[in-house]
Amino acid sequence: MNETEYRELMEASWRRQLTAAEEARLQVWLAAHPDEQARWESESSLNQLLEQLPDVPVASNFTARVLQAVQREAVRPAARPFLRNLLHWLMPRRATGVAWVALALCVTWFAVYQAESNTKARRANELAIISRSALVSDPAVVEDFDAIRRLPYAEDEELFAVLNK
Amino acid sequence: MTDRPDPDAALMLRVREGDFDAFEQLVEKYKQPVMNLVYRTLPDATEAEDLAQHVFLQVYKSAHRYEVSAKFSTWLFTIARNLCLNEIRRRSRHPADSLDATFPDSEDQPMRQVEDAKAVSAPDSVMQSELEDKIEEALGELPEKQRTAILLCRGEEHSYEEIAAILDCSVSATKSLIHRGRESLKELLKPYLRTGAWKEK
Repeated sequence: MNETEYRELMEASWRRQLTAAEEARLQVWLAAHPDEQARWESESSLNQLLEQLPDVPVASNFTARVLQAVQREAVRPAARPFLRNLLHWLMPRRATGVAWVALALCVTWFAVYQAESNTKARRANELAIISRSALVSDPAVVEDFDAIRRLPYAEDEELFAVLNK
Repeated sequence: MTDRPDPDAALMLRVREGDFDAFEQLVEKYKQPVMNLVYRTLPDATEAEDLAQHVFLQVYKSAHRYEVSAKFSTWLFTIARNLCLNEIRRRSRHPADSLDATFPDSEDQPMRQVEDAKAVSAPDSVMQSELEDKIEEALGELPEKQRTAILLCRGEEHSYEEIAAILDCSVSATKSLIHRGRESLKELLKPYLRTGAWKEK
């Protein structure tokens, strides 16, 4: 047995009783290393002291009290657990929550951008229609409209006659 | 982690499916070791039982998140330790608050029924009781992590790997904690190491 194995035996003794074979190997080692004898005895004594620690008293109705507390917990309104579970499913971790928020922002931005683009396209189309109408119009028509405006008052028949020219 | 199936993990999976009897079995099995740890971790031992009950309540509430990636006892004692640490921090911020206000007793349940384990007053029992008090006192002097490591190390309940997982540190760090804690205990209990009144096996 070497120093490492001796240390492993000591660490094993902290958790459990050594087997007969382990004890025999240990005694051989200690016989060859008498300077370790005192240290081993103090370790062994402390192990015995710690074994004297008794179990802490537990109330006889401990389990009943736990079960009652659990049953009280179980009858809470279902809506809160549902919301809690939904949030937990959507955002099991903070990074996932951040990702959801980022996705929502991107979708919102894209929707606004698309709406503005559609509005611009519609206005451009309307302007095109107006400009085409303006180009087709004959200046004489504009003049006729001026003449119509200068008329103090005109009967409808006369107005229609002017417009139909 | 052991390759043998963990029977407690199987019970906990049944709890996750709503099996109340399985939960009761786990409480009965682990109430003593949990109480042992909580009682010796909290500075105020009189409220340790309420916190120990809260550990199991938390286990039940967290059942839907339980996964068989480690032994059930590792998960259980991690919860127990974390709740103890939370309580210690809470008391350091609000020293006037009492744990009873957080976990009120039910009106249906009788007061806690604790048997008096020290009713016998024969001389040997008195000496044994004093020795136990000294050991408890010495453990209370240790830093929390050293004390918890030593308490979890007792009785083959947990491997060093499991203790390391509960303490959230490496196996070598765990062994170092235990070693330093034991050196402190040897110093504090020096008068009792050779001549103390304990029963020889």
